[in-house]
Amino acid sequence: MLVLLGIRYLTPASVTEWMTDPARDFVTLSISVIIESLPFVFLGIVLSSLVQVWLPEGFLLRRLPRNPALRRFTISLLGVLLPVCECGNVPLARGLIMSGLTVADSMTFLFAAPIINPITIVTTYQAFGWNDGILVSRIIGGLLIANLVGFIFSRHPSPEKLLTTGFQEACAIDEAAPRNRRVRRTFLQFSRETSAMMPALFIGAGIAGFIQVAVSRNVLVALGSNPLWSVLALMTLAFVVAICSNVDAFFILSFGSTFLPGGIVAFLVFGPMIDVKMLALLRTTFTAKTLVQVSILIAMCAATLGLAVNYVF
Amino acid sequence: MSFSRLVSRWQGLALSLIGVTATVWLGFAGQLGLYIHPRYYVFTLVMAAIAVVLIVGAFAVVPTEGDDDAHDHAPGGHEHAHDHAAGGHDLHPAAVARSGRSPRTRRLRMLTGTAASLAVVAAAVTALLVVPPTTLTSSTVAQRSINNASATLPGEGSASAASAGDDTSSYTVKNWSLLMRQGVGLDYFDGRAATVTGFVTPDADDPDNVFFVARFVVTCCAVDAQPVGVAVYRPGWQSSYPTDSWVSVDGTFGADPSVLSTANIVLQPDAITGIAQPSDPYVY
Repeated sequence: MLVLLGIRYLTPASVTEWMTDPARDFVTLSISVIIESLPFVFLGIVLSSLVQVWLPEGFLLRRLPRNPALRRFTISLLGVLLPVCECGNVPLARGLIMSGLTVADSMTFLFAAPIINPITIVTTYQAFGWNDGILVSRIIGGLLIANLVGFIFSRHPSPEKLLTTGFQEACAIDEAAPRNRRVRRTFLQFSRETSAMMPALFIGAGIAGFIQVAVSRNVLVALGSNPLWSVLALMTLAFVVAICSNVDAFFILSFGSTFLPGGIVAFLVFGPMIDVKMLALLRTTFTAKTLVQVSILIAMCAATLGLAVNYVF
Repeated sequence: MSFSRLVSRWQGLALSLIGVTATVWLGFAGQLGLYIHPRYYVFTLVMAAIAVVLIVGAFAVVPTEGDDDAHDHAPGGHEHAHDHAAGGHDLHPAAVARSGRSPRTRRLRMLTGTAASLAVVAAAVTALLVVPPTTLTSSTVAQRSINNASATLPGEGSASAASAGDDTSSYTVKNWSLLMRQGVGLDYFDGRAATVTGFVTPDADDPDNVFFVARFVVTCCAVDAQPVGVAVYRPGWQSSYPTDSWVSVDGTFGADPSVLSTANIVLQPDAITGIAQPSDPYVY
């Protein structure tokens, strides 16, 4: 750490004078994503360790209902207890799978938790109140989509094929690990999870920073007042900006005066589940094929929800 | 242990350490605000402190991990069964059997993976520890449209409409910008004195005569930064005030003499002073 601090301290400010403004902004935006997401990822890993290492074996699983639909619905509500946004939910969902939760059930948790988490609900309420049914549509829509994803993937004949080989191996190791020596296991778990999450986070942040510099927001924002295009444009915006679900309501409010409510709901439901940074993080766990299927499914559901809000209500 | 496995094993901890070091340094240097909203300072630094403990613990424990896994509890006793939480360099026997790839292909994949891992670490060191922390530039202003007509700003909903008796002596670029966007007209602004501080960015429609004194409004982090600004009418401003330099402008509001600019109200400057970038360049 001292060496790294030394690099920081000794590097002259003139070292980047050759960089163009877009290049500087690319670096600034990428760093911003990393600095903002890093604490949530650490929190997610800590909570994951809590579930896997410190809670008695089967503590969570034993308490869940046996009926699959009811169990998934219960799991989709677990996020209420965890003030963790989407970045932190990925290591936590990995921990739940390692603890024995099925892949489909973990998906339900993964996609519902960032929307149902208490901070997200409070900030969405602060931003929109009860106006236009945005808060209610977000919560109910998010829960419905997460449960639907869980239901569809629960029909998969061999769920382990949804996971990457590397993650399957990590699960096998954790299963074989002794249940004592908890402190040591916590450190090992931290090491393994950071090995998986950190490269994904850094690459995801780089991609998000690049897209921000390369794609003008003005085009997307200009489409915001059309009932159809507002939904698609704001979903694209959600995918591109990759902003944390805890504060995305404030973000979209800053664009919101002429956006239609359906577009805003689609943004608030799609963004926490799928965006460029989340895909990089999810790729640590799920195969590319799975992620394509999940992304298409969620995008269609979010678009349907947004269009329904615009045209029906 | 091969070099590839060494890289694979330590990459996560190395990246964590780089991220935490950058965070802590920015915190102590008072520069976290270049990237995130002040409401996250405490949470970010507390999690960084917890991460330091976990990283130190992991550095102490991980070197012996292979022995434990190989001899105590790795499934089937594979020597390197522990090595692949990263999902990167896939040499696990089961995986090899499943993949059906030739040893040469596997070796090539492993080398590519190792090179990619090293590149990510090098890029992280460069971006977080070598490149000096900086604010966003006018390039992002162009991307996001200054004073975007459809945009609302945090606190805008509760901002009271201007009335003739308001004390505007402490108004910032954001306050003036909000008033203009709320539709307050020239009859309110005309002849009103103001002092505003921000960075210089050209008016897209009349860059020769008009520039904006601009600030970025940040809701959460620099990713959501939205530029706001007050237009200043000063023909030939480029020769004295470079784009992105910081200035303080004293002047009086009036109708925009420019025929090209879409700003209706501009600040007619009495004095423009170049200043150093403030420690808190964004507004909230």
